[in-house]
Amino acid sequence: MSANEGLKAKHVATAGPRVSWSKGTIFLLAVLAVAVLGIGIQAASDATLFAQITLNGLTLAGLYFIVASGFTLIFGLMRVVNMAHGSFYMLGGIIAFLVQERMLKPDPTSFDLPTATFGSFVLPLVIATFSVALLGLIIQQVFLRWNQGQELRQALITIAISIIVADQAVARFGGIAKEISVPIERSIELPIVGNYGTMRLVMLLVAVVVGLLLLGLITRTRFGMIVRAGVDDRQMVTALGIDIQKVFAVAFLLGAFLAGLAGVLGGSVNSVNKADDGKFLLISLVIVIVGGMGSLTGAAIGALLLGLIDSYSDVYLPDAITNYGVLLTFFLLVFVLAVRPYGLFGRPG
Amino acid sequence: MIPARLQWPVGIAVVAVACVLPFVVSGFTTSQILTRAMILGIAAASLIFLASLGGWVSLGQTGLYGVAGFAVGNFVEADGGSKTFGMNIWLATILALLVTVAVGLLIGAIASRSEGIYFLMITLAFGVIIKLLFEKATDLSGFGGINQIVQPEIFGSAQLQPERIYFVCLVVSIAVYLGVRYFARTPFGLAFQGIRDNATRMKALGYNVTLIRTIAFGIGALIAGLAGVLNVWWNTQISPGTIDIGPLIFLLMIAIIGGLYRIEGAWIGALIYVILDNRLRSVELVGERVATALGIIFLLIVLLSPGGVMGIYESISRRVRRPPSGDDAPAGGEGAAAPGVAGD
Amino acid sequence: MSTDKRRWKWLSAAFLAILIGVVAAACGGSDSETTTAAEDTAAADTAAADTAAAEDTAAAAGGETKIVMGFLSNCEGPFGPFWDATLAGYYTALVQYAGATPVDPADPKAGVTGAMVPGTDVPIELNTNYGCSDDKADKALAEAKRLVEQEGVNVLIGPLSGDEGIAVANYALTQPDVTFLNGISGAQDTTLKVQAPNFYRFFSDGAQWTAGLGAYAYNVLGWRTAVTIGDDYSFPYTQTAGFVSEFCSLGGTIEERIWPALGETDYSSYIAKLPKDVDGFFLDVGGTGTVQFVNQYTEVNGEDSLQGKVMGGAFISNPQIIAELGNKVKGVVAGSALPSDATTPEWEAYVAAIEAAFPDQTANAANIFLAGYYNNTVAAIKGLEAVAGNIDDAAAYHAALNGTEIETGVGPVTIDGNRNAVMDNFVVEVTDTGTKTLFVVPAVDQSFGGAFSTETPNPDRENPECVAGNPPPWAASITG
Repeated sequence: MSANEGLKAKHVATAGPRVSWSKGTIFLLAVLAVAVLGIGIQAASDATLFAQITLNGLTLAGLYFIVASGFTLIFGLMRVVNMAHGSFYMLGGIIAFLVQERMLKPDPTSFDLPTATFGSFVLPLVIATFSVALLGLIIQQVFLRWNQGQELRQALITIAISIIVADQAVARFGGIAKEISVPIERSIELPIVGNYGTMRLVMLLVAVVVGLLLLGLITRTRFGMIVRAGVDDRQMVTALGIDIQKVFAVAFLLGAFLAGLAGVLGGSVNSVNKADDGKFLLISLVIVIVGGMGSLTGAAIGALLLGLIDSYSDVYLPDAITNYGVLLTFFLLVFVLAVRPYGLFGRPG
Repeated sequence: MIPARLQWPVGIAVVAVACVLPFVVSGFTTSQILTRAMILGIAAASLIFLASLGGWVSLGQTGLYGVAGFAVGNFVEADGGSKTFGMNIWLATILALLVTVAVGLLIGAIASRSEGIYFLMITLAFGVIIKLLFEKATDLSGFGGINQIVQPEIFGSAQLQPERIYFVCLVVSIAVYLGVRYFARTPFGLAFQGIRDNATRMKALGYNVTLIRTIAFGIGALIAGLAGVLNVWWNTQISPGTIDIGPLIFLLMIAIIGGLYRIEGAWIGALIYVILDNRLRSVELVGERVATALGIIFLLIVLLSPGGVMGIYESISRRVRRPPSGDDAPAGGEGAAAPGVAGD
Repeated sequence: MSTDKRRWKWLSAAFLAILIGVVAAACGGSDSETTTAAEDTAAADTAAADTAAAEDTAAAAGGETKIVMGFLSNCEGPFGPFWDATLAGYYTALVQYAGATPVDPADPKAGVTGAMVPGTDVPIELNTNYGCSDDKADKALAEAKRLVEQEGVNVLIGPLSGDEGIAVANYALTQPDVTFLNGISGAQDTTLKVQAPNFYRFFSDGAQWTAGLGAYAYNVLGWRTAVTIGDDYSFPYTQTAGFVSEFCSLGGTIEERIWPALGETDYSSYIAKLPKDVDGFFLDVGGTGTVQFVNQYTEVNGEDSLQGKVMGGAFISNPQIIAELGNKVKGVVAGSALPSDATTPEWEAYVAAIEAAFPDQTANAANIFLAGYYNNTVAAIKGLEAVAGNIDDAAAYHAALNGTEIETGVGPVTIDGNRNAVMDNFVVEVTDTGTKTLFVVPAVDQSFGGAFSTETPNPDRENPECVAGNPPPWAASITG
């Protein structure tokens, strides 16, 4: 009977109200144009500041993209809303930090913080991302696999896991934000922008590489073919005799891996903070809702929008309403969903 | 399920017990256990209302609950928040409910076009954004939350007469319960349920599906708003932490404990949650890690009985009345726990 | 499929049984205690601890045999990791002044035994009930109510953070017979504005922690213009208020006050827009924010250290933060309620008291979380001693507390008319061995020499206004 209901839901979805894309596009473009105009006027007054802020937004978007791409991959293929995705992000940073701390053995009596070598950065990164990936796989196999198709129950299971992880993180990981040490100069001189954090640029680069690799994986490989087919019609894929369970397992592993990777990068650029789980879950949700669930392009666009909005609103909003900046995210959601109920690049069902 | 002829007697008995309780237990239990459970029960009822009749699991209800609470705090004389209005508490309450319903209708208009798990994600995003807004916009939420929010005078002192606010919550609870039961039988309520079951057909029959859903979401917002108002009357205080992601998840947990598809489960779930929250700390093994313990309990419930306590009760009463018979079990248990979101 | 369903039913039934068991046990427990709580607090005590030994003697003497203390701190949320430090502060006071013995000197969580009110004829036990919050005012309030109304607590020590403190002080207004002593929450309003006659704070508030900084910036560093940056909530408002009030009173001007939203972790855009032509910055972004802010600031400005350009509030001189930031904060001058490098007899006595109870916790001696709970618990015990453990007469106990002077690591501490501590503050410089005290600012009171009163607006984004004149009494003594 649950399958029946699902089918019904699907009918509704296709039959649901849809505003034509062109009308929506015009509306969105109009909003965008106003925003660009406003920022442009500000930009003209201080080019260095504008360049800095823009780069901040882009690098932030890079981080957001790495997290959200894992989320959208899992969702698009398996219809699992992984509420523990933010926990994966946080765990990535925590594990990398703890491993690095063991390796560097900072002397508590010395004031000079140890700096990481190439090895003592890469090894924690590898250990952290792979353990998070493994944890993701275990969660998928133990809890989610036999609940396939019960979307709500899967979401609830991952919520329960995220509660437990968050509380244990408080108990076992200190209260102060920690920073993962990196083996490179912290800042470099860029034209126009001036000094800029090196790791932020590295993070952007990694995001681009991850994006390209994922694109290649999705468009060029058999795995990607199955994933694409699965996003469109899972029942048909199963009916064709493909072992979809194996594909699901790999997808979940990959999604958790990406969250863990982002956690390590975020921890190196910024800090490892145990309040990050909720924050990055929300970021993933908003990006994926805006971009369209299951769409890689959508995740990239959503990440860009959110990253730039974050940066610009910190600086360009008048002081009196800086604190209402979060409303921009709210209205972004409202606008996009009003014209595209399934996100910019999403398809119903 | 309770046989129809017993429903009224059982209902009256439950209300009678609820009326006697505050005179039997201490003031603390009345205030911190019973009243709190009533308020959380009403909030959970707004969630179950949407889940049982509309097939939607909304995680935005704490956000709406917070909108109502903060609105009251801003409209009346209080320490923190906007101090410009200084309204009478009753006027403030009515306005707060209107504001909540307006916000609910806006979110409903957007979210009602989505289905199942999409709906859950979208409402979660809205719920967290509302919390972030109040956290950051200190003009609205004060610099340490809003404190010393005035109570309606008839409540007297919350310390000396804790039963007064309890009875108000009881009356509102009964009203919400009966209201939801009544709503389900009105033509509008039937249409709403019809949309849950087959929106295409309803559309073909000429119903304005989006409008009906939006209005239903607004009604859910009203119920959540009632709980939010009662919460600030009772606690005389509200801060952004009240509607943080933790309380959001625990409200969902209450609804799950109670069973997502029976409205009375809201109060049962709330009572169980409040007692657990109050007593778990005294359990040696749990100590300070109450959240971990609650998380594990939540996980067990989801894994073992998606129908919650009500689901367990029903599956047992079915077994008692009828020999077990394979697959033809009626709606209940796994399938009905999540109408519309069971997926394909 | 059908076997599946059957399995579910069995599992469900088993689970229901467990759940009913738990709830039944829980209800049973709550019954026995709630009835006693309803009668009176003395009776509640008997329910609170079964190990009571002196019941009979007490009944004979007609007085209290036990006093129930409440300990309210954070074991969850952002300050959850400081649970141990706050417990250590609380227990150290009990060990030092109430004759308690730690169960496990390596682990404060294991508790203490044998705490008694000192100097009474009839032995009076001090029992403790615990409340755990998560930095949320709601939770702290619910826990305070549970401790007071369900567990029958007579004296409550706590809570930990600013918003919690305001909520609990408001609650204290409704419980005149219970005595509240703050833990380490630092909002100014808690004592200055709420004015609960039974709420005490034997430790300075957040604004007092920055006393001396404005004068140091103006007189020593020669700043004339400054910009403040702080997280947008009550605690940084309070700390920034102390700096602004003092700096402006000497003639300095605040060019801008920047308030990144609470919970921000990426400060890079705020840093990019900081004005370049001011003399310096007063930095007060929260516990986790400090690490992120300093890292991003040094990245953007290509500097290795913030020395001379930035002064900080309580966060930046916190030992744990210094450990994270190392050389980047070397030479930064900050305000602090505690001098980690002190060699005074008082400080050494204080450290020795911690060592006697919990040797591992001496590293936390300069941690305000430990010291705040320590000070307030010491005051609670001293007050009980003064009234010979007679807690029934709340007015007498409160009168005793009002006159109590306690010995702390920074010397004697008394309270003012708002029941808020008058105590020394320290201007410290971050060095590679921790912090070095530059100036002792003596007897700082909550009003900053009159700048803050019940009539002045609460510290917020724009307040206090930057007004020249009437510098606090200590300002003239801080000179280069």
